[in-house]
Amino acid sequence: MTSTTLAVTMVRGPGVVRRLIARPPTAIGLFVASSVILIAIFAPVVAPFAPAANDFEAILSPPTGTHLFGTDELGRDILSRVMWGARASMQAGLLATLIAVAVAVPVGLLAGYYRGVLDTLVMRVTDALLAFPFLIIAVGLAAILGPSLLNATVAIGIVQAPKLVRITRGEVLSLREESFVHAAVADGAPDRSVIFRHILPNAINVLLVQATVILPFAILAEATLSFLGLGVQPPTPSWGVMLTAAQPYLGIAPWFAITPGLAILVTTLSFNLVGDGLRDVLDPRLER
Amino acid sequence: MIPVLDVRGVSVRIRLPGDRYVYAVDDVSFTVNPSEVVAIVGESGCGKTMLAMSILGLLPAGAEVTAGEVRLGDEDLRRATPARMRDVRGRQIGTIFQEPMPSLNPVLTIGRQIGEVLERHERLPSRSARARAVELLDLVGIPDARRRVDQYPHEMSGGMAQRAMIAMAIACKPRLLLADEPTTALDVTIQAAILRVIDDLRRQLDVAVVLITHDLGVVADVADRVLVMYAGRAVEQAGVLDLFAAPQHPYTLGLLGAVRHPTRTRPRSRLAEIPGIVPTMLAPATACAFAPRCPRADNRCRTELPRLEVLRPGHAAACFHPGAGG
Repeated sequence: MTSTTLAVTMVRGPGVVRRLIARPPTAIGLFVASSVILIAIFAPVVAPFAPAANDFEAILSPPTGTHLFGTDELGRDILSRVMWGARASMQAGLLATLIAVAVAVPVGLLAGYYRGVLDTLVMRVTDALLAFPFLIIAVGLAAILGPSLLNATVAIGIVQAPKLVRITRGEVLSLREESFVHAAVADGAPDRSVIFRHILPNAINVLLVQATVILPFAILAEATLSFLGLGVQPPTPSWGVMLTAAQPYLGIAPWFAITPGLAILVTTLSFNLVGDGLRDVLDPRLER
Repeated sequence: MIPVLDVRGVSVRIRLPGDRYVYAVDDVSFTVNPSEVVAIVGESGCGKTMLAMSILGLLPAGAEVTAGEVRLGDEDLRRATPARMRDVRGRQIGTIFQEPMPSLNPVLTIGRQIGEVLERHERLPSRSARARAVELLDLVGIPDARRRVDQYPHEMSGGMAQRAMIAMAIACKPRLLLADEPTTALDVTIQAAILRVIDDLRRQLDVAVVLITHDLGVVADVADRVLVMYAGRAVEQAGVLDLFAAPQHPYTLGLLGAVRHPTRTRPRSRLAEIPGIVPTMLAPATACAFAPRCPRADNRCRTELPRLEVLRPGHAAACFHPGAGG
């Protein structure tokens, strides 16, 4: 019995998380990404200062013992603002990804499974959307909806959807020709059970990995839109807003721009590393 | 006795680009009686699988049944609604595919896949469905079924997976089992075991079987009656003993000649082959499709279509020059 249990464990492999941690880059990514999420959640507790607290004794102060990453033009602690800014970034990143998935996956599933007119229509619309540069659509949408973090997030989610629609559809197209899907149909499975029990679970790995690609992109996009004044509105801190504010002082107070810039770089990089690791661990075509 | 399955004059054509058609199945009729195994035999491309799919009402896009009736008991399946057909599939007709491994969903355990069929057709709650799944796995000869039921397909061998497929196919005690090349993808030793499972089941569960195969060894093992198909048409129909003892159609004779016989064949002797390939029927047949490959063909064969004629009780052939002689 023990030997069979052992054999079973060997075939099915240890848990996905353990296999992820076994890869150094992924482990680092996982650590940093979860730290950023924790900082975003606990910003009020971990940030040394309130995000809007002014220290008029230290305006545009370089890094010191009190202000580890210096202060901005109104004497606000940059480290604290970056920590609070993580909230906007995480909210935009996670919510935009969720919106993209919620819109794209059902559309892709239906288009790929039923083909026909619906499929043609969906594909032409995604073609049209993909032909526009991201920023044009996002700026247009944010302008129509009005500048706010939520609207910017919605705009980012919608802009990301077409690519995910295509990927979902592509997966469905290949899965619907698999033998086990034909077998399910031959056993009398109705469409919804074929789609949700047989096709979707087999596509979930690819979709999950794709979501981890969208997430860092959405974080970057939120910073971009906020930088352009279409996302988070001052005085609420956000990495993009901080970069905008730092622009005039690049020459005299480089720490002002460098800190939020580094936060963006490190966060997007860490989520990308997690995504890469997930793809390697989950994708059966790479694994088996 | 009402046959379980009564296929009457079924024709299937497949649309090609440019409004051309392949006449894949042409006017095929056969019946399957309760707990009888009927084998449909022929080379690749002779329309076996199309015929099976037309019974299930699952022809691929572009293919359609143009004539005939498919009766399951006293119900005409061609008139059944899509919802009724979903109920028939899996509940009245169980299907076994050629390749067991790709026919099982890789992300669901065996138990859940069998359970799904039971939950769908018999409205069993999932707990009893699982218990039934264990019984079924036991029935098809999977050792340690209680453990196996929670395994994923990739943890099983090909033979195990095919047994699991069979368990799924018989889960709702269907009246008819449709087995499309069930042993082709398996090792020879496993083949025999799987055939034994199918044979046992039809006795125990009283299920009728349509066995589609190109392997005459398989036919000899389990079939009661045989339908030989060539280029979409039935060319010979007989009880299995009659067919092997006195094949009437030259095509059947050719098929038998192409089988290695363990006792009669001299070592290293070349097997007889039928020259040429199965033609693709781009027009409905107006003459014997086998004539170009047939040693007995004459002018009549090339201009007139031979009909399936009863030569003696239970034995029919579609040939102008029938006979067992070479």
